[in-house]
Amino acid sequence: MAGSTIDHLISVTIFIGALLLFISLFNQTLQTAVLYQQHRNLAAKCSDLLDSILLTPGVPLDWGKIDSSPIGFGLQDPEFTQYRISPFSLMRLWSSVGEPVYYPDTGKTYSNATAGFGEYLLMPSASAVNYSTVTRLLGINGSYGFQLTMTPIVTVSVSEVQSNPLRIAINATGKGFPLANAEVSYCFLTVSLAGQQSYPSYNVTYGTTSTDETGSALLDFTETNGDEISYALIAYAHISGLVGVGYHQHVTSDTQYVIPFIDNLETGRVLLAHSYDVHFLGTPAAEISYNATFVILTEDFTLREIPLGADRVGNVTYGEGKTVTIPTDNPGILLITYRKSATEGGVVMMPWGLSSMGFSVAFGSDPSGKEWVATDLRQVIVNGVAYQATLALWSLEGYQVIS
Amino acid sequence: MMRTIEVFIVIIIITSAFLISSFYAVLPQPRRVSPLNLRRIALSTLQTLDAGYSLSETVFKDENDSAWEQLQIALSACLPPNLVYNLTVYEVQSGNETELYRYIKSFSNAQDLGVQSDAGAYLVASSNVTFQVTPEKIGEHGGGGTLYILNCSDSNGWWITGYTGQSLAADLYNLLSPYFQNTIMVQTTAQLGQILNGTSLQGETLQNAVVINTVGEAVPIPSGYYASSGVGYDSGHSSYARYCYVLGQKVRTYNWTWASIVGWPFYYVSNTGLFSSSQNSWGIYGMVMVSSYGLQAFLQGLDNQPYSYSTSSTGSPGVVYLSTQAQYYSNYYGIYPSPYQTSTRALPSSIQTDFRLTVSTLIFNPVNNYYAGAVYRHAGTGAFLALGLARTPDIRLTALGLLSYYKPRLYRSEYNATGTSRLVVLQLGQVGGV
Repeated sequence: MAGSTIDHLISVTIFIGALLLFISLFNQTLQTAVLYQQHRNLAAKCSDLLDSILLTPGVPLDWGKIDSSPIGFGLQDPEFTQYRISPFSLMRLWSSVGEPVYYPDTGKTYSNATAGFGEYLLMPSASAVNYSTVTRLLGINGSYGFQLTMTPIVTVSVSEVQSNPLRIAINATGKGFPLANAEVSYCFLTVSLAGQQSYPSYNVTYGTTSTDETGSALLDFTETNGDEISYALIAYAHISGLVGVGYHQHVTSDTQYVIPFIDNLETGRVLLAHSYDVHFLGTPAAEISYNATFVILTEDFTLREIPLGADRVGNVTYGEGKTVTIPTDNPGILLITYRKSATEGGVVMMPWGLSSMGFSVAFGSDPSGKEWVATDLRQVIVNGVAYQATLALWSLEGYQVIS
Repeated sequence: MMRTIEVFIVIIIITSAFLISSFYAVLPQPRRVSPLNLRRIALSTLQTLDAGYSLSETVFKDENDSAWEQLQIALSACLPPNLVYNLTVYEVQSGNETELYRYIKSFSNAQDLGVQSDAGAYLVASSNVTFQVTPEKIGEHGGGGTLYILNCSDSNGWWITGYTGQSLAADLYNLLSPYFQNTIMVQTTAQLGQILNGTSLQGETLQNAVVINTVGEAVPIPSGYYASSGVGYDSGHSSYARYCYVLGQKVRTYNWTWASIVGWPFYYVSNTGLFSSSQNSWGIYGMVMVSSYGLQAFLQGLDNQPYSYSTSSTGSPGVVYLSTQAQYYSNYYGIYPSPYQTSTRALPSSIQTDFRLTVSTLIFNPVNNYYAGAVYRHAGTGAFLALGLARTPDIRLTALGLLSYYKPRLYRSEYNATGTSRLVVLQLGQVGGV
């Protein structure tokens, strides 16, 4: 009797222990499968969402060119089909990378997609489309988080390798391979600070060259001393339909200069501010005169100047900016030459439409630290320039089923 | 002891079940759990390469042409380093009911396509292919579909500087006749009188037609009945404004769409025989001024109001811009007038309430409650297209306005000519990792 009871107790104990062990094992297998399924679902959602963003123009169709908020979100260029993206819609996205800039004269904060010194893209917060608005418009508010990045496929880096005589190197690379034997069209702008008028003038020359097997090219400007003048070089590299853009500028005054702020998208009005107003470096001694011009990229990869109005020249001082109006809907580059003194000046640029200068944009939340992030990418065209759109997507509802 | 043995037997059974289920329940490789959508990447890559039609040009070139090498460089530069590719081009040979894909060329940058691959296909056409676009005929599904172009040889034009009514009529015919079932050139004012009487000229459908007046601010007037006192002539005010009233009535009766291509509509009436010794006060004979009374009378007739000799007004908003709707249809129909024009004879928005009109198609964005170009639909029947622009007229705007109003669809032919279409297949593979 006692032996039977012991046998019973032992067997039940072993059975329960074994059962718990197998339940745990089966459960782990099942949970792993469920988790895999959820991750796969997230990847499918990521792909669908990316297509949804890139293949619809949004509502209204021209929301990229107006200041009001869209009521439907999409980045497709309304004048095209397929993966063609509006450079203006991209310009309105609130950059999640650049530190926002506050301009005291307007009392506004600006989204900062600036690429570096002299290459500005500052969009007022009222005109920029923020992340929470977009998640609401996409119908994923509270369920998914995302980050959308648009980067040029072709990186064209331009650098000065020798100042006198000026020699400039151009290097074009793609995402996975250098852009060998590519044609390069360039625009070389030199700033003239001398002359009878107080406004700077400029001289533009155009040229073409081609890259070697490593994607590099050298430009020699034998009559130019890079130490003495301010200049800018914009280069377009293209091969078999793949287009990239790069730029470089050298200035002789890098503390007092002009900073352009987009003021009104619909009218094309741009505010020109004194750098001291933005960086609070102190009271400058001299006002800065400027001379603005607007250029657009033509089909043969040359830049064509679009005449601006009488406001193209003027002076900015500490605490008092000026405005200049871009008279066209076409994407292009606003070039602003400035003059602090007879020997100090420079040139700053602002793209009108994100792609004109090959700017990148990162929009959305930060994916770092998220449990599982699905990514997908597409190749797109933004006003003729090849970009790669990458979407990182993660769930906000959690997956953690295994502790 | 037996129970313990039984338990062990159960454990063995469960273990076997676990092992068997684990053997068959194969979890995917981590890479496959969250895959890139290679099919869409391939398609978007091909579209990117063809954005400037470079891909279309290259795939039709000789197999030894350097353009193939450039394409390979561009493709390699496009894709991330962990993606390998194989691009294959086929010629599409169309039979009666089937298509044959003949291999042309292929190149790749890898021996195999890694752990996962997918392909996108893209059809390109040779640059020497001509595509046929077949427009839907207006009225094809709902009656009407007749376009009358007033090409009256016995009428003079005003504010069509640089053109004649006849030359504008010819251009309008070329632009719009493909979209209508019948296009009738009304050659004389007598023929105009005939259709006003409700008699067709060539057996066409009179009802729901479109009438375009090509002589600008003037309007052709038939002699005889329509110029007689109490019908077309207001003897009390010595004015032909009453004729404009009759036109408004006819537009309502026949549910016409009347198009005025430039300036102040119905400002003059013209008949070189009837007014051979009269001039429009600017030295143009064969024409009599009706002034602003003409437009007012037309709108009264359109709204079935009693005739009243009263003035109309227009505004001068200056530079006006094409509406979003007009820009869209500009692209759709391939008609590209200048996106901004100067308007000095824009109709006020008040005519909508005064004459029960609704702007159904906006050609130019309104400025300060003035419409420089719009199609007004009456609450009953009839419609009125008015372009209150300064001379010289641009008949592309008239065509754009009418097409935006009727929205006929365009049916584009398929790329199925032999030897003129090629299929590009880009297969992408993901390499590296697990």
